[in-house]
Amino acid sequence: MQRTITVLLAAALAALALPAAAHHSFAVYDMTQNVEFKGVVETLKFRNPHMAMTLKHKKPDGTTETINFVEGAPANMLVRMGLDPAVIAPGQEITAFGAPRKDDPSSYFLKAIVLKDGTRFQSIGP
Amino acid sequence: MTIGFWRLGAAALAFGLSASALAQQKHPDFSGLYFPAVGPGMRTQTPNPLPYNDAAKKLLADYEQHFTLDDDPGRYCIWPGMPRAVWGAPFTVEIKQRPEDVSIYWEGYGMYRKIYMADHNPPKQLVPSAMGHSVARWEGDTLLVETDKLKPYPYMTRMATSSAAHVSERLHLEQRAAANGKPAQYLVDEIVLTDPKVYTEPVKIKATLQARPDLSLIEYTCTDTLWDDYLTQRGLTLPDLDALPGGDKE
Repeated sequence: MQRTITVLLAAALAALALPAAAHHSFAVYDMTQNVEFKGVVETLKFRNPHMAMTLKHKKPDGTTETINFVEGAPANMLVRMGLDPAVIAPGQEITAFGAPRKDDPSSYFLKAIVLKDGTRFQSIGP
Repeated sequence: MTIGFWRLGAAALAFGLSASALAQQKHPDFSGLYFPAVGPGMRTQTPNPLPYNDAAKKLLADYEQHFTLDDDPGRYCIWPGMPRAVWGAPFTVEIKQRPEDVSIYWEGYGMYRKIYMADHNPPKQLVPSAMGHSVARWEGDTLLVETDKLKPYPYMTRMATSSAAHVSERLHLEQRAAANGKPAQYLVDEIVLTDPKVYTEPVKIKATLQARPDLSLIEYTCTDTLWDDYLTQRGLTLPDLDALPGGDKE
């Protein structure tokens, strides 16, 4: 059974989008999209104020491409959800969901991570 | 049976409590762990649009023309400071209250604020800062806090403030149901920001923090990101000490 960990931080993260008080607006991303990529983590920057990750994704034609998740949730939020960074270290196979930047569709905001055992860490949106 | 306060006081003194400790007991204790409240009607809303005066509106227009959403002070670990810090960071907040002061630590950005009690000889502050200089007094169960000496926060799309800004707060505890229906305690902070250089009228914000004794504080380092990016620009890689043999933990 897939386990989803969203906690109240998803709502809190959404609050960050408020223009006045927030340190960050997510308006540069098309958050209506939820693009799925299955692949192997290449690089991981598990840090604040936002984590970043690249993923080697195998396309249907057998070739691979590197997906650049230029930002995701703050490392502290993910830790509070119970995510051990070791499970998304380089070499780990995961499924990632992203929202592309409006001005650079090859760069994504990392919305969710699903581990091989089905555990899902949802930082924002569906 | 009614026991007069003087009798309680005499009993307390007999058990070794000082007069100042007794006075402190008369006030609510805000100490504890909190998290910005979420749920219907709980989330803090920043006024939108803000009542910028004409001069500030021109600065806003110029700012929006030249700065993008990526030009984000938060990405460079700039503290939001007062009053934005109160509700802006969705991380654990720890409050420690003593008779002489109230210390607030925000996990997000590692922000720290000291509120000095007016009747305990508060120190002066010479240099403006992100959190400013806060002095408080009690009015019944409400803590009244006045803050000045704030350094400018010139990010026009993020509730900008000048060094003329003054923040008045009324803090009190409330008991009510949380989003899950269970009774919970909240710290309500009614904030009034005045800044005649920037705003045409006082800006009022009601921020609510929910007591969350179940949470913990996690170390939050932000400047690592700046260092990482600098090293990338320089093409440098730090040695991986964990790759050395020996000392592995089970």
